[in-house]
Amino acid sequence: MSRGASRGMRLALNPGVEPKRWQFAPARLLLALALLMYLGYAALYTAYAVQLFRWPYDYDQGEGFELNDALLFSRGEWPYRDNAVYPYYASNYPPLFHLLAAPLVALWGPHLVIGRVLSFLATWLTAAAIAWLVHREVGGRVIPALSGLAFLVSPYVYQTGPLFRLHTTMVLLELLAIGCLARFEDPRHGRRYLWLGVFLLLLAGYTKQLAVFTVAAGLGFVFLRDSKRALLAGTALAAVAGLLFWLLNRATAGQWWVNIIQANVNAFDYLMTLSLFQQWFRLHPALILLAGGYALYELFWDRLSAYTLWFFFALGTGALSGKWGAGPGYFITAVAASALLAGLAGGRLLQRVSARRRPWLEAGLALLYLSYGVTALHLPTDGPVVGRLARWLGVADQPQQLACAAYPYYDRTGYTQLGHWLTAADYQAGAEIMAYVRAAPGPILSEEAMFSLLAGKPVVTNPTQVNNLYYNGLWEGTDLLQRIYDEEFDLIILRAQFYPPPVLGAIWFRYQPVARLCLNGFEYTLLLPPRRLGP
Amino acid sequence: MITKRQLGFFILALGLLLAAAVLGVDWLGAGRWGEFGPLQRYGLLFSGLALLVGLGLIARGNRPA
Repeated sequence: MSRGASRGMRLALNPGVEPKRWQFAPARLLLALALLMYLGYAALYTAYAVQLFRWPYDYDQGEGFELNDALLFSRGEWPYRDNAVYPYYASNYPPLFHLLAAPLVALWGPHLVIGRVLSFLATWLTAAAIAWLVHREVGGRVIPALSGLAFLVSPYVYQTGPLFRLHTTMVLLELLAIGCLARFEDPRHGRRYLWLGVFLLLLAGYTKQLAVFTVAAGLGFVFLRDSKRALLAGTALAAVAGLLFWLLNRATAGQWWVNIIQANVNAFDYLMTLSLFQQWFRLHPALILLAGGYALYELFWDRLSAYTLWFFFALGTGALSGKWGAGPGYFITAVAASALLAGLAGGRLLQRVSARRRPWLEAGLALLYLSYGVTALHLPTDGPVVGRLARWLGVADQPQQLACAAYPYYDRTGYTQLGHWLTAADYQAGAEIMAYVRAAPGPILSEEAMFSLLAGKPVVTNPTQVNNLYYNGLWEGTDLLQRIYDEEFDLIILRAQFYPPPVLGAIWFRYQPVARLCLNGFEYTLLLPPRRLGP
Repeated sequence: MITKRQLGFFILALGLLLAAAVLGVDWLGAGRWGEFGPLQRYGLLFSGLALLVGLGLIARGNRPA
């Protein structure tokens, strides 16, 4: 008889003294409080998303460029182009998310709300999938519900979930892949789970390159249990992924390789990684401790599950956050994995604890989940309900100070460019910038794509992409520089000045600043060519 | 099926490789620091952790990983 079986039998034979119903009351009350708190966070997240759906401009600098990728796909064009040729634009992401958005963009036009709704739905589906997987593995209702909602409580998910960014779709596909691979030994449907899991890994990888860590976790799990099947699945995945890669590279005359791989090679700053790891732990300590403890238990005293391996490998995803263009969002996979694993830890503990100790364990778990709600605190600090709550919590006088505006929003993350709610002044500033854009007869050069897209103008270059290529010695920008010197752009809009130094030099040498407007907390500088300034 | 012992040897090997790489950087003259750099300290920390985990798993014997 195995040790696990003998322990289970011992518990069955000696379950301890059955506690009275009233003894559960404090624990149930705490669990209900935790659920209520998490539902409050989910409602706040939904309200934040809905106000973002109405915002027509970039909230995060990359959103408009991702919309442009979807727009190009909807027209049957590749977004993987030669950055040396007008309009000097290329995407640095794989195509799946933009292909999902493309039919909707073809139907309704280039609007950010399309991708924002898709990403928002992806986060809710991820939360639902976490809850379902925890329920599938350990049963129960409250712990699975708390586990799923815990994903939405994370400030990282709140900040980036409803953006036109592909990251959360990748996380959803990663989670579904791991959920399938976890059951690849199922006697009836094992083969189906294995190949569906491998297919989902392929989709995740073609949503964002970062999914490579989840691919390693998924195949690593299969390898631990059945190395032959792992080699077969891994070979098949590598063959299909490689063939797609080759076809895409061939179809884009090598621009796929340049823009997806070479443009993403950045200098690594380990201090940034360490700082983000500290922040991740500071915001999610209860989840991480529960998940980490359970992972160590499985590592040494039980069999490693797919979920635990995913948790370990998700830390690798986080470790890549120390490069330009990366950030806390790289920890969303780790948040999903830790929420899932924490739920499994709670569920397994409740299964194994004696009846006499169960009320104490339930109360302990509830307190842990409540503490996570406190450490992850984020909320707007004005408004009829949240304003009062913020005052009660003592955070109402800690606004989020951005470059040119302060927003009534508190976030334990600290400084964050995301999460605040947009104001009437932001809408006004956006309309003023659009007036300049519409008054420009010809093409414009804008650091954010939405101004161009909303005016029906071509999106000329992606500053971060050409900046990466410039520093990797893969872009000179001669043609673009000549156009700037020839004053071919009727308006230039700068925000963070992400362009490579020669481009910025040419802009400031040739163009004159005519307005500085504060939009979404950032100062936008509008520059005109001298020929448009008049005598 | 992979055992705890096999997994332990694998992680132990990774830890040793990492330690060799961390120390070899100075020997090869690579890296940005003239002396033992801060990233090398973290590298050695991780390799030490890997060695501990590897040894711990080897001690778990032939149980399934």
